[in-house]
Amino acid sequence: MQEKINQLVKEAKKEIESIGNLNDLNLLKSKYLGKKSEFNQFMKELKNLPNEEKPKVGQMINKAKNEINDHIQIKKETIEQEKINKQLEQETIDISLPGKSMPVGKKHILTQTIEEIEDIFIGLGYEIKEGPEQEEDKYNFEMLNLPKDHPARDMQDSLYISEDSLLRTHTSPVQVRTLLENADKKPVKIIAPGTVYRKDDDDQTHSHQFKQVEVLVVDRLASLSDLKGTLLIAAQKLFGAEREIRLRPSYFPFTEPSVEVDVSCYQCHGKGCSMCKNTGWIEVLGAGMVNKNVLKACGYDPEEFQGFAIGFGVERIAMLKHGIDDIRQLYTNDLRFNSQF
Amino acid sequence: MKISMNWLNDYLTKTIDSHEVERKFNLMSQEVEGHYPLVDAKELVIGYVETCVQHENADKLKVCQVNVGKETLQIICGAPNIDANQKVIVALPGAVLPGNFKIKKAKIRGVVSNGMICSLDELGVQDFDKAETGIYVLDEEAPVGKDPLEYMGLNDIVIDLDLTANRPDLLSMRGIAYDIKAMFDIDIEFNKPKVKRKKENRELNIFTETKDAPVYYGQIIDQVTIKESPYWLKSRLLAAGIRPISNVVDITNYVMLEYSQPLHAFDFDKIKSNKVLVRKAKENEKIITLDNLERNLLSTDIVITNGDKPIALAGVMGGLETEVSESTKTILLESAVFDPVSIRKTSKRLALKSEASSRYEKGINHELTKEALDRACELFVELADAIIIDEPSFYNQLEVSYQEFNLSLAKLNQVTGHTFNIEDVEAILNRLDFDYKEKNDEFVVEVPPRRLGFESYQDIIEEIVRIYGYDKIGLTLPATPTEGKLSKKQQFKRDIRNYFSHIGFYETSTYSLTNDFLATKYDIEETSLVKIMNPINKDREYLRHSTIPALTEVLSYNHARKIDDIFLFEIGKRYSQENEVELISGLMQGKYAYLLWQKEAMDVDFYLMKGILENLFSDLKISDYDFLVPEKPIPNLHPGISAEVLIAGNKIGWIGKLHPEEEKEINVKNVFVFELELNGIYDAFDLVEKQYEPIIKFPSVSRDIAVVVDKNIQAKSLIDTVNNISNNSLKSVDIFDVYQGEHLDNDLKSIAMSLKFENKEKTLETDEVDSMVKRIINALEKKHNAKLRQ
Repeated sequence: MQEKINQLVKEAKKEIESIGNLNDLNLLKSKYLGKKSEFNQFMKELKNLPNEEKPKVGQMINKAKNEINDHIQIKKETIEQEKINKQLEQETIDISLPGKSMPVGKKHILTQTIEEIEDIFIGLGYEIKEGPEQEEDKYNFEMLNLPKDHPARDMQDSLYISEDSLLRTHTSPVQVRTLLENADKKPVKIIAPGTVYRKDDDDQTHSHQFKQVEVLVVDRLASLSDLKGTLLIAAQKLFGAEREIRLRPSYFPFTEPSVEVDVSCYQCHGKGCSMCKNTGWIEVLGAGMVNKNVLKACGYDPEEFQGFAIGFGVERIAMLKHGIDDIRQLYTNDLRFNSQF
Repeated sequence: MKISMNWLNDYLTKTIDSHEVERKFNLMSQEVEGHYPLVDAKELVIGYVETCVQHENADKLKVCQVNVGKETLQIICGAPNIDANQKVIVALPGAVLPGNFKIKKAKIRGVVSNGMICSLDELGVQDFDKAETGIYVLDEEAPVGKDPLEYMGLNDIVIDLDLTANRPDLLSMRGIAYDIKAMFDIDIEFNKPKVKRKKENRELNIFTETKDAPVYYGQIIDQVTIKESPYWLKSRLLAAGIRPISNVVDITNYVMLEYSQPLHAFDFDKIKSNKVLVRKAKENEKIITLDNLERNLLSTDIVITNGDKPIALAGVMGGLETEVSESTKTILLESAVFDPVSIRKTSKRLALKSEASSRYEKGINHELTKEALDRACELFVELADAIIIDEPSFYNQLEVSYQEFNLSLAKLNQVTGHTFNIEDVEAILNRLDFDYKEKNDEFVVEVPPRRLGFESYQDIIEEIVRIYGYDKIGLTLPATPTEGKLSKKQQFKRDIRNYFSHIGFYETSTYSLTNDFLATKYDIEETSLVKIMNPINKDREYLRHSTIPALTEVLSYNHARKIDDIFLFEIGKRYSQENEVELISGLMQGKYAYLLWQKEAMDVDFYLMKGILENLFSDLKISDYDFLVPEKPIPNLHPGISAEVLIAGNKIGWIGKLHPEEEKEINVKNVFVFELELNGIYDAFDLVEKQYEPIIKFPSVSRDIAVVVDKNIQAKSLIDTVNNISNNSLKSVDIFDVYQGEHLDNDLKSIAMSLKFENKEKTLETDEVDSMVKRIINALEKKHNAKLRQ
């Protein structure tokens, strides 16, 4: 008996070794371990043995069955492993081939610049106000201390719709509208981004349509030093943390005093280069203390209130930041340009 | 305004460096536009031509022995006017002339030349000598061996200021000197003109009929010798950018530059009257101005007349008839004040802008009108050997008044946010030459008439701060307690831009102004047009109603440059006389996504664009939208491939393929566009409350059905029917197949739908689902004559 079992185990092992797929392995399994297997036959024969031998032979048979089962199991794992290996080999691709092309879009650089300026001022507690592009002369000029015969109106040659309405030449009328709307004459702290127009021929540095962001603070103590502090933060956020600012006297009818604001050159760090025309400074924007005539026109008592205004030229900021040398690029929408930002 | 440093130094008690002038002007006053030497040449010397003989090897060259002081140099010269006994400008070897022209010792046709005899043109000086035909010949007094530029006054440095409208005082050299005094804190000196007048009691009546010419002085100057001006005068005019003409004209220009008071010289004999009447022109009155053009006048123009007809257009240009010529003997010199607005209007209308008109426009200091006239008289005696006849005739309707402003120290400190003290302010007001009184920290400041355009104490603050220095003011932030945030609408606009840019659209930035054809090209209904009265050109005359023409233009621009697969969007406006409506517009053309080497591409079509909008709406939680066949065709869109877009039953825009004619025009195929009113979307979005909906725990059940219907039946109507007949267990209906062709009649189509059911409370039983599906099929049969496809 012993010998027969050993023989059988030996045969089984040999057969298992030679098997190459799971189906055959399953067949083999039922052949050796199934109901009709020889082992089952042995178990049936067990009852014919003397009692004292029964446990010993029984154990022997079970051990043999376990051994075969183990072998089948190992073989099974091997076959499965091989199958996966084969699959992996077959599925290996040329990862150097190009990927599927998906469209990439971008917000326009002017939008990005406006949002950047907006975010700086939102962080400083400012609200954003908007106004119409078709504006009344009253709001665009007169209430901003630019009466009909003011020579400074020549500075902003305008596109008129009628005698008393025009395409706004700046976003400053939003100042006026905001102050007027504010019925209980509370302090105001706003920015006004938007599109404006001037009667200019388009060339490398001029555009008849452009964008501005106007900043306005009116409160009882909003001072020139508050203006300077605000400008410094804006300059550093836009042009880098090491930037300094410089104020120079200028003239705008709606502010008094008025200043031009320079930022220390971010290319040469003030040493002088072609970017800053060897001055170490780059002119970026205009600002000033709100002219009391504007406050008065808008119903604010200039003896009680004061404040400041800043005018960002969005194109100028974008061009300076990104080294764009022709303003028309911002309106041509050559996608080779738009895709760069 | 161009400042001659030589001239400026006449007024100063201490010489100052031009670089310091530039720096101080930039930081304390006006922007410096230019800073340059009047003549950019060095190593020049006055030479005396001792002998001048023919060059042995060249017909057109002369060999000169030139005494340059320390030595005599042999110099070859080719100028036709070179001769012995002339005093000339010699550029020595080592000299560099404008244009980086280096002078070297050289051999010219075998003869040594030690330098060059120069023309003024070679020194970059134009208009100095009208008769110049070659080298410049100096006068007999020129000191040999000395610097010719210094001798002629051409050794000047020019500082060019870009003046702002509030500083007309800086249009005069005296005004510049006052500003220098304030900025440098140094003293200045002006000489009072001294005039000897000959009493003759000649009759000259000057009067006016208009308030717009408040001051007028007329001075008879006799026995004028018209000639060239001396070197110093010409040089100063050149430095100021004004062409020297003759002593008479040059004197008037010089005095104008000195005082900012324009002067005009008439040939007195040509006036043919001893009357000067200043009045408004009559409508259609005519005058021929100095530029030989006949000008048609309006009653808003001011004219100088001889009592009868105009002899000058006041403050703008003189009349040709009374022009000073070489034969002029007696002149009438005008020094007057005219109304700025009137001058501005006349000069603008006639496009006649002159040094005089621009000064009048900005305002002049009427306190100096007489003094400027005297200064001119002084120069006429000195430079034209003239005799000044009697005191000038004049009228003066102006009352001299000084503007006064009150400013407290507290106000100054409150506005600036800086702590000034009394001494700071006093020192600055003194430097500015502003008179003031101070009591208990309150200043009363008197503004001299040379400073115009002061409106309030704010102007005084500006003066104090600019002289004190903006750099000394501190850095603080407003204490105003406010909340900074985007409004919901502003955030919504950002979200829209983010959505389109994130799914592959480039945002464009295009012009709102266009021509009338493009402005109205996509109008569905009559909308008023906004027209510009004074357009830049015909293509920028109207505000647009649609952004699509601009987007198609951007498409063809890029397409022509071989850029494929173009997806554009812009938030623009539809402008009308009544309002400005914000629009979100988009354009798609080409392949949306592709893998070339697998020949796999997602071509842009109507359904892609529709899906992009549906996704946007669903992202915004807007469900009540619809795409409908347009009631009437949308202009320039394909009538069969376009739809109106509705939200909550309101038309908010459209979507579709460009009309084949239109595609032909722009030479691009398969272009899809949409344009929606932003507010139409926003209003629906604004109502959305984002409320949590519990996720259903019970499994959903799906059933697919396919029905055959008439091919003209819209899929949407089938879906509507399904939705209407079902209870809330129906979760969704999705069309997953549309088929026409083999096995179906020509006028039929098959539509396959996937129905998904679920119930919040329980797992749906098969029977329940079966009966719902049955109901749906029955409804489809009844309503659309649909047959279930087995």
